[in-house]
Amino acid sequence: MGSIKQIPVVEAKRTNPLARVFDDLVRFCRSRSLFILHYCTGCGAIELPPAMTSRFDMERLGIQPMVSPRQADILLITGYVSIKTLKRVILTYEQMGSPKYVIGICSCTVNGGMYWQSYATAKKLDEYMPVDLYIAGCMPRPEAVIAGLQQLMDKIHSGEASSWEDYYRNYDYYLGNQQKLFGEDWQTPTDVISEAKHYDLLSEGTLGDHTRLLEQHQKPLEALEMRLGHEQEEPAK
Amino acid sequence: MRPENYEAQRQPPSNEFELNFGPNHPGIEGNYALKVKLHGDVVLEAQADGGYLHRGFEKLMEQRLWIQNIALVPRICVPDPSPMELCYSMAVEQLCGLHVPQRANWIRVMQLELSRIAAHLFTFGGHAATTGMYSTMYWGVADRDLVLDLFEEFTGGRVYSIYNIPGGVRRELPSGFLQRVSETLDYIESRLPDYDNLFFKNQVFVKRAKDVGVMTQEQALAWGVTGPNLRATGLAFDVRRDDPYLIYDQLEFEIPTEESGDAWARTLVRRHELMESIRIVRQVVEALPDIHGPIRAPIPNPLAWNVPAGETYTRVESSKGELCYYVVSDGGPKPYRVHVRGPSSMHAVQVLEKLSVGSRIEDIAQTMFSLDACPPEVDR
Ligand code: SF4
Repeated sequence: MGSIKQIPVVEAKRTNPLARVFDDLVRFCRSRSLFILHYCTGCGAIELPPAMTSRFDMERLGIQPMVSPRQADILLITGYVSIKTLKRVILTYEQMGSPKYVIGICSCTVNGGMYWQSYATAKKLDEYMPVDLYIAGCMPRPEAVIAGLQQLMDKIHSGEASSWEDYYRNYDYYLGNQQKLFGEDWQTPTDVISEAKHYDLLSEGTLGDHTRLLEQHQKPLEALEMRLGHEQEEPAK
Repeated sequence: MRPENYEAQRQPPSNEFELNFGPNHPGIEGNYALKVKLHGDVVLEAQADGGYLHRGFEKLMEQRLWIQNIALVPRICVPDPSPMELCYSMAVEQLCGLHVPQRANWIRVMQLELSRIAAHLFTFGGHAATTGMYSTMYWGVADRDLVLDLFEEFTGGRVYSIYNIPGGVRRELPSGFLQRVSETLDYIESRLPDYDNLFFKNQVFVKRAKDVGVMTQEQALAWGVTGPNLRATGLAFDVRRDDPYLIYDQLEFEIPTEESGDAWARTLVRRHELMESIRIVRQVVEALPDIHGPIRAPIPNPLAWNVPAGETYTRVESSKGELCYYVVSDGGPKPYRVHVRGPSSMHAVQVLEKLSVGSRIEDIAQTMFSLDACPPEVDR
């Protein structure tokens, strides 16, 4: 962990009324320009094209689909997540830049829905990643999706939608649940702990037994050195 | 991405590389992935990587009552759920020897064909989007929504209708419904010339789709291809005509075919099929007012329903191809075994793998969307 340079966070003093107005403005602008990462995890995804296109037209709210996770703000989990998908969902979630929001569409993300007894799906999404908002229904209509997104916009504006901070604060809990499902040596390429330090969100819940396992199973540093040496020896043609 | 997690491998310089295509990729239909090996732009090898949507349907169905499974089956194929319900209901009816009233059969045909119209419109939209023609996508989705409104009116659900039950259909049509069906059909039909100009005759589409993913008739038969994909290779095989179920033998319709077997031909077959489906629904709308009688055969208490022991195999023509159910009952309240033979498992796995080889990477999306595979049905 020590290899990554830490950028000190300057805590701004928000007593100045002007600064508070500025903060409010930032949050307002943020809530009016949202990009959805459209990762169709389940059958609820079929109601998104109607919601996005001319009939219900999500774009009038300033919400648009986006293909790359690094430029997206909202991760929509549209339905049941099988265990194989859940791995990709977590990788995708960690790649997204903060602040990021997660919406669980469909009953399947709430409690497993009609696949409550299936051996292949993860039942409760919020055990693996923090969720800002659930839109229940099997499947929710486009109106419900849009109402949910409007609620999220309000939450972003008022500053309530801060689940992404939760992920850093309680990383140990989430990682523990992930390890239960994927095995002890489960790793993601993103260094969440350093990011937590960067955002100044390191708390008691960030580190724990499970994050220790992370270090234990981490591949040694030599890999990097080997690659650097390799590049010096034979410059790419 | 932490570099220390990746080990460098010494390899000779090469133009070949491997790429993960999907599961979160706009050129892939749904949650599905391909591992492709490329030489420059050209695909050397493609390997399907499914399982992202696996829910273990066939196992789940063994753990639920016969009637509960009706709610489960439409989830197997999301864009075209009605044939799933119907095929399962038909299997249970055969096991029990239930006789379905005539009126229910006609209503079922109407539901199936409306579902086919919706599924085809949706496919056109998705296919057009891969060539960058987003207006066709907007149109397709919006026109499909009109059909979904009809579904909502007579079944109660926009996408999953759960309308067929063993023995018939759940409720009677609302009054004045047939009138609204014909209005919607008129509207969709009046839109088709616009679709032609915008999409089917558009050079952007024709040039992208012609000679992409070509398969011959022999190949198609050997690989288990069915439905519009088979008909695009010139063979006029359709379960609706060649092994009629419900009342398809009393209806007039044609089986459109194309010869070239490429992505363009496959999409064009669907476009002609849309016309035929409209024709079929028109016939149903005309005939239905004169067909009276019950819409449901009496069934025993569904919560304590022991279906007689036996096995059966039913098949219907869904919008993606031939859909079959193999159902075994041991005389108990739950199915002993259900196997779903979906069309997409062939199309998206072996056919897509083979057709992608030799094409360019950007044509994979063309091949995939023209095969109209449905990932939830591949994985089940
Ligand atoms: S809640 Fe219903 S519609 Fe949504 S993913 Fe689950 S089964 Fe599909």
